[in-house]
Amino acid sequence: MTTSQKHRDFVAEPMGEKPVGSLAGIGEVLGKKLEERGFDKAYVVLGQFLVLKKDEDFFREWLKDTCGANAKQSRDCFGCLREWCDAFL
Amino acid sequence: MAAAAASAPQQLSDEELFSQLRRYGLSPGPVTESTRPVYLKKLKKLREEEQQQHRSGGRGNKTRNSNNNNTAAATVVAAGPAAAAAAGMGVRPVAGDLSYLRTPGGLCRISASGSENLLGGPGGASAAPTAGSKVLLGFSSDESDVEASPRDQAGGGGRKDRASLQYRGLKAPPAPLAASEVTNSNSAERRKPHSWWGARRPAGPDLQTPPGKDGAVEDEEGEGEDGEERDPEAEEPLWASRTVNGSRLVPYSCRENYSDSEEEDDDDVASSRQVLKDDSLSRHRPRRTHSKPLSPLTAKSAGGRLETSVQGGGGHAMNDRAAAAGSLDRSRNLEEAATAEQGGGCDQVDSSPVPRYRVNAKKLTPLLPPPLTDMDSTLDSSTGSLLKTNNHIGGGAFNVDSPRIYSNSLPPSAAVAAASSLRINHANHTGSNHTYLKNTYNKPKLSEPEEELLQQFKREEVSPTGSFSAHYLSMFLLTAACLFFLILGLTYLGMRGTGVSEDGELSIENPFGETFGKIQESEKNLMMNTLYKLHDRLAQLAGDHECGSSSQRTLSVQEAAAYLKDLGPEYEGIFNTSLQWILENGKDVGIRCVGFGPEEELTNITDVQFLQSTRPLMSFWCRFRRAFVTVTHRLLLLCLGVVMVCVVLRYMKYRWTKEEEETRQMYDMVVKIIDVLRSHNEACQENKDLQPYMPIPHVRDSLIQPHDRKKMKKVWDRAVDFLAANESRVRTETRRIGGADFLVWRWIQPSASCDKILVIPSKVWQGQAFHLDRRNSPPNSLTPCLKIRNMFDPVMEIGDQWHLAIQEAILEKCSDNDGIVHIAVDKNSREGCVYVKCLSPEYAGKAFKALHGSWFDGKLVTVKYLRLDRYHHRFPQALTSNTPLKPSNKHMNSMSHLRLRTGLTNSQGSS
Repeated sequence: MTTSQKHRDFVAEPMGEKPVGSLAGIGEVLGKKLEERGFDKAYVVLGQFLVLKKDEDFFREWLKDTCGANAKQSRDCFGCLREWCDAFL
Repeated sequence: MAAAAASAPQQLSDEELFSQLRRYGLSPGPVTESTRPVYLKKLKKLREEEQQQHRSGGRGNKTRNSNNNNTAAATVVAAGPAAAAAAGMGVRPVAGDLSYLRTPGGLCRISASGSENLLGGPGGASAAPTAGSKVLLGFSSDESDVEASPRDQAGGGGRKDRASLQYRGLKAPPAPLAASEVTNSNSAERRKPHSWWGARRPAGPDLQTPPGKDGAVEDEEGEGEDGEERDPEAEEPLWASRTVNGSRLVPYSCRENYSDSEEEDDDDVASSRQVLKDDSLSRHRPRRTHSKPLSPLTAKSAGGRLETSVQGGGGHAMNDRAAAAGSLDRSRNLEEAATAEQGGGCDQVDSSPVPRYRVNAKKLTPLLPPPLTDMDSTLDSSTGSLLKTNNHIGGGAFNVDSPRIYSNSLPPSAAVAAASSLRINHANHTGSNHTYLKNTYNKPKLSEPEEELLQQFKREEVSPTGSFSAHYLSMFLLTAACLFFLILGLTYLGMRGTGVSEDGELSIENPFGETFGKIQESEKNLMMNTLYKLHDRLAQLAGDHECGSSSQRTLSVQEAAAYLKDLGPEYEGIFNTSLQWILENGKDVGIRCVGFGPEEELTNITDVQFLQSTRPLMSFWCRFRRAFVTVTHRLLLLCLGVVMVCVVLRYMKYRWTKEEEETRQMYDMVVKIIDVLRSHNEACQENKDLQPYMPIPHVRDSLIQPHDRKKMKKVWDRAVDFLAANESRVRTETRRIGGADFLVWRWIQPSASCDKILVIPSKVWQGQAFHLDRRNSPPNSLTPCLKIRNMFDPVMEIGDQWHLAIQEAILEKCSDNDGIVHIAVDKNSREGCVYVKCLSPEYAGKAFKALHGSWFDGKLVTVKYLRLDRYHHRFPQALTSNTPLKPSNKHMNSMSHLRLRTGLTNSQGSS
């Protein structure tokens, strides 16, 4: 699967304080929605990802419920976080 | 079981929810307030499915649904039916892609809602993590990143998704997919929707250019359909044709993933758009797709098309098509035998006009703008024309048909379009695909890396003002010269005006009538002649005087009389009359009478002593010279004035900046003093032996280097005054230390609120955050230039020399690497960027390993590669730097913590 530039940028380095919009699959609209729910930083979403035990279905479902991500977006986000965890966690 | 299952999930406690989920074989994470809804939903779904299975008696769902953590195999096994895989990768990936759509969660969604969720991506694709890692990670698009893919703009977001789905699916491991597909296709018939779907999948993408997209769209829509009969075997050739298309599209697939946000936005819009389109397209789509392969289906397809026309999917086009359906089919069927590709081309006609329009518009737009515009006028959309042109894709046979068929609506344009499209499309479908895709992909793709690099350097880019100013300078000089000559000419003319004697004649004539009415004619003439002669003589004299050759400007009366006498005896008599006339005549006649004194009033001719010409007669050269001199003088004065103003301004600016500089230095000093005092105070807190105050000279000597002291004296004094006046936490006292009186400073702020910054040393390396492996760093070093980020925070830095400390730190960290030739600290960057150039990419790789992921000054440093030409563009001085840089001293201050930690020389640096 080819990855987007955003994905590659995110996975290349520790996320630090990156905003949630820097996740692959999360653009302006979704980012704002997530921020409204309290997920203002990428690491918070990472937290959720980890709490859901890195499970794809749960995480994608959660993402869809939280900010209305469609399948592609949630897939991208999941992939991004998973790879980040593989590299840095 | 049913009763238990029927219990309302909302009343479940967390533990109950947890245990319920466990029963289903899931292993859920902690049930918190954010995960609760997710798990509740899951539980509900599981229960529904359970009930469904109980009802339908099949237990297949369970196996599909029970998959939590997607593995490729699991996903694939759970994948829905696919048509028997034909040869070629395209088939399997597409099928696999759709199989991915059948993830456990996806399945539930599919059954629930249908179209939109089909985009629920190939989780299986993501289940193949290795695929992603093949791509180079840890890169930005700085280095000429060919893979930066532009957005896919065709067909809307939904289609993009599907296309990308399939593209991604293309990369999935084919083997397990094939196996699973075979098995699944066998079991496909079990479930109507999925088998329907599976069969239609190959049917769908008969289209060529947007095959991926349209196919998926068709799949979606087909799902809603029912009762269509299909021929699964008929799908095979279509499948094959689709394969061809798919494989062709592979190279372009990877380029479309650049920006998620655009796709997202488009998705949101496209999804709504989709729904609208679906309605119109859904009906005729399936019919059309089936019509092609087999002649038995021709009738049906005709019927389908008729239906379509009824629905008015394409407006006039549909009607035409309906009318021509029969002949079209026939001709098309002929073509079908030809090749799968061409069959696919024919099929394209049948597919819905709208998406194809969208796609083909792009494809053909660069090729056929004129015909299309014609179309637009006649049709509500140019679908008709496109359809016609697409007809000709298949073969030349249609050429004949088209005018005949579409004669009623678009004859000329059709023919033109047909001919040109035939020509163009014969360049190959791949050609058109290429052009189409290229048009959409290449430009944005190229601009993306460019854009990023540009943005990177935009702030600091030195605009090429040199060339501009040179150009402007030459223009300016040219205009100045022209202006100068213009002024010269005008001045000359002005001068000339005063020297012309014609005016004199004119002015003399005028007053003649008034005052000399009584004088006779002859006398008048004589007088005029006299006056002229006098005037000439005087003018000449004056001219000589003005031009500097003679020293006398005036002619005395006696001399004038003598001159006149020389000229002729008759002039003498008239002399007095002339003088009288001149006197009485108030106007300027060119001769002025002056007496002994300059301001004397002349009432009588006896008072007149001298005659003077008011209009000197000067030679041309003299006049020119004078004019030139005058102009030059004036210009010079002007320039002088301007220069003076400039000088004054510069001086003021200089003074002002100097003042600013000094003030800044003073504030720096103040800050440093405060730091010292504070730290001293803290030290005193811990160590009661120290005196809580510090002598001022001691502070000064500790802060300022000996060689700077004289220079900084003024600054220091100002700082001291500032502290005395403005700093409340420091008190100035006099104390006797060692027998001598000193002015001391005492820090009087209670230390409860002060921070422990001093405990954390600044500007030291503090270890590495993560191990550098293939995933978070590029496998090989591409360029010799690096961009190091997060080394500092420009807001927090004080003083003037901190960038040197940064440079030192970098050099010390890479002290074993003697290939660093240029370092530039970007003081203004928010991210704390430092740019480094090395001798070769290998050195850069070494530096990368040493720096990336290390902690420096409490911040995590990241490194990436930059393009060499961009680096040189921004730092031209780096072009010539070839000598490796070394730390300035051997202290290795920035490595002190690492040394302490390891206790030995570590691999990163040597002490």
